[in-house]
Amino acid sequence: MNTHVSRRRFLQASASLGAFSVIVSKTPSLLASDTLMGGSMPPVLKVDANGYAVLCVPVPDMGQGMLTGAAQLVAEELDIALEHVRVELMSFVGSINDEGKAQFGKLHQGTGGSLAMAEVWMPLRQTAAYARSLLIDAAAREMKADKADLTTKGARVINAKTGTQITYAKLVDKVQAAAEPNLEEVALKPAAERRVIGRDRRNVASSDIVTGKPIYGIDQDVPGMLHVAIRRCPHLRGGLVSHNGKTLRGKPGIVDVIDMPRLPADPKERRLVAAGVAVVANSYWTARKAANALEIEWDGSYAMNTDSAHFMKIGMEALDSASMTETVRDGDIEGALSRASKTLEATYSHPNWAHTCMEPHSCVADVKADSAEIWVGHQFMDVAINAASEATNIPAGNIKANFYRIGTGFGRKFEKDFIQEACFLSQKLGKPVKVTWSREDEMEQDFYNHMAFYKLRGGLDASGKMNALHIRVAADGRFSSATQEIPCGLVDNYLGEWLLLPTALSTGAWRGPGSNVRSWVTQSFIDELAEAAGQDTLDFMLALFRSKATVEMKNWPNLTLDLSRHVAALEKVAEESGYRNVLPAGHGRGIAVFQTHHSLCAHVVEVAMKGEKDFRVVKVTSAIDCGLAVNPLGIRAQVESGIIDGLCAAKYGNMVFEKGVPVTNNFDTYRKLRMAEAPEEINIHILDHGDDTPRGTGETSLPPFIPALTNAIYRASGKRIRRLPIVESL
Amino acid sequence: MASITFSINGREQMFDGDEDMPLLWHLRDEAGLKGTKFGCGIGQCGACTVHVDGEAVRSCSLPMASLDGANVTTIEGLAQGDKLHPVQEAWIEEDVPQCGYCQAGQIMATAALLKSNPNPSDDDINEGVTNLCRCGTYHRIRKAIKLAASKMQQA
Repeated sequence: MNTHVSRRRFLQASASLGAFSVIVSKTPSLLASDTLMGGSMPPVLKVDANGYAVLCVPVPDMGQGMLTGAAQLVAEELDIALEHVRVELMSFVGSINDEGKAQFGKLHQGTGGSLAMAEVWMPLRQTAAYARSLLIDAAAREMKADKADLTTKGARVINAKTGTQITYAKLVDKVQAAAEPNLEEVALKPAAERRVIGRDRRNVASSDIVTGKPIYGIDQDVPGMLHVAIRRCPHLRGGLVSHNGKTLRGKPGIVDVIDMPRLPADPKERRLVAAGVAVVANSYWTARKAANALEIEWDGSYAMNTDSAHFMKIGMEALDSASMTETVRDGDIEGALSRASKTLEATYSHPNWAHTCMEPHSCVADVKADSAEIWVGHQFMDVAINAASEATNIPAGNIKANFYRIGTGFGRKFEKDFIQEACFLSQKLGKPVKVTWSREDEMEQDFYNHMAFYKLRGGLDASGKMNALHIRVAADGRFSSATQEIPCGLVDNYLGEWLLLPTALSTGAWRGPGSNVRSWVTQSFIDELAEAAGQDTLDFMLALFRSKATVEMKNWPNLTLDLSRHVAALEKVAEESGYRNVLPAGHGRGIAVFQTHHSLCAHVVEVAMKGEKDFRVVKVTSAIDCGLAVNPLGIRAQVESGIIDGLCAAKYGNMVFEKGVPVTNNFDTYRKLRMAEAPEEINIHILDHGDDTPRGTGETSLPPFIPALTNAIYRASGKRIRRLPIVESL
Repeated sequence: MASITFSINGREQMFDGDEDMPLLWHLRDEAGLKGTKFGCGIGQCGACTVHVDGEAVRSCSLPMASLDGANVTTIEGLAQGDKLHPVQEAWIEEDVPQCGYCQAGQIMATAALLKSNPNPSDDDINEGVTNLCRCGTYHRIRKAIKLAASKMQQA
């Protein structure tokens, strides 16, 4: 279909439109430039009649700065001002695979693993560089010049020989696109010539945000839409027995009351969608008020005998007596421990954390006989489309999904439940519906960060070097990763073992999954071992990371780590924080370094005690090693964010369960950090090791912050925090 | 039931619906003003902060019944036409927003604080702006509040 004729037709059309587009191609090469090719396929990049760019960003922005970073890539390669790049969120441009599932095509369309920038780094620059090459070709024809003499700057093509210039605006309808551009041959701007990438750029969405524009999923309405409030079963793995919903029928504004089945029905399975009662009304408030007044009998029998004390009991018992699965065994752990000049044993534990996404979940769905449309904020476009397809039995190829800015995700906006409820109800009612979650349900029906219990035994040889480490972990989710984390690989004698705790909880991904807590346990125990060895922790850590040149990560993404980068990060934060300077009484410093996914971060945290039971964070000094830094201002924002999130979770994060019901279900009972407790000073240093690609930043700073904090609290107060949350251990 | 007469962003309104309805849901679902955000429903997080007669209030917990004769200002009504309020300008200049969901509420809380206290100390800020931010932008919010204060004093 992409014939020469159709291309010419397109160009004629585009001349009157005064714009040209680069779209995702269905053919094997990455991108093409003919809008007729894709039919309804959206452009990746459009250059409009003013010579300005409209960029469709393939990955949702949930606060990680995706739109800004993506705009920078395009402004750089196209040689136009960042202000002249308008950004929109692209719709799904992947494909449907043989199993009928939506899958990513040539563009990655999800945000997770801190990978969004790394995923778009090459394709977006190639797209913009290709658009630039088309403009140069057009200018060469117009100017009758040799392409080699042409360069671009400020949305103009400039003839270096003659000094004549022509604006992009005058070229857009002169562009002639190749049918199948070979993007490998399109020259990308050399690093030394970059003017936008690597410079501080403010959030491009800020003007919409500060003026209250309806840019989030929860802000979307469609004509004829009904509103839904659902009362969801608060009992872990619980079900619906009965309710008095009949009494609502015929009341003003009430449309229907519908039973929501638990998915899957078997309570032994992890929850996908909660059991509940949906009240459908002509406004959200009418639905909410009526739902709140419903009398509902739930079946809470499955987990009636479980509560937080029960979880603590089975977790601690497992550490001492359970037979566990061995994950790593190096050397001779028992022999080494018996030969050690000093041994140390400690037990650590932490409860579940809720995500508390600032924007409560919502979804609008309009399900027809053989097609469906959804409007939602979701981290992964393929997952969202498949969720709608699975809920309705409508083929994924017939699902149209509209995506929006996300009011934080943290992994929770990866799940399917809030989409499937809306689809189920719209299909049942034959009308578009909007389901809006309450904050209480957002916490009660969360897929929590896992709880876990750890027993560590460490051995030091006569020189004070760690020669043995044994870690046993009992966790309520499939998080065995703590058993194979550094110092695993750096200790000759090592044993890791883990057990899945039988609880009724549903766990999921929470910012820095696994890393967020295993960093704390391992880096705190290293601090304990350093003290036992009579060494400063920095010296002990430096010796550990200098003991080998590299180590294989046994956890995802299974990289070979160059440990000189750990050393560099530690040295940087030590130097910048004045680590070895004496502190006033009641103050303490802690240090930690941790690789999360593809990036690395070290912190020195200084705290001051406020009496015996509280503390304030005086200063945080951070070094982040995240590869090529696209937007240093945005990277610092992500580091600050991880610090605050880590402080908040470690200090207060604690989902409490009684009789199988979560009882911490809003901000009055599940405490979050406010401005008064934010660190007084944060100094962030972005390390430059000359990398040519970004490695990700969204999750990197959180995991090492928690051990640096608790190590600091130990220095300041003499209290070793081995059980989170900190407020309950001080 | 008598109608409730009040104004939103300077425009007179009549309301004769459910008087228990919180102002938040009237704004979002009936007045079509989506800038005021739902966060918790219990007045804890402040995402729904608006001005009622110049005071910052949490609209999720304010029933329509209490609004007779009141003047409500939302984030959509804070700027003077195209001219942003100094607090909005400061938010952009300090690059405060990450996800941005809570920021309308933060801005409304700050604008009210600076009206009554043009030069707030750190403690005044801690007590005057207690809204939750899940991205942890507090560090930059504090800077932006101080920048906005200095902008307003120079103006």
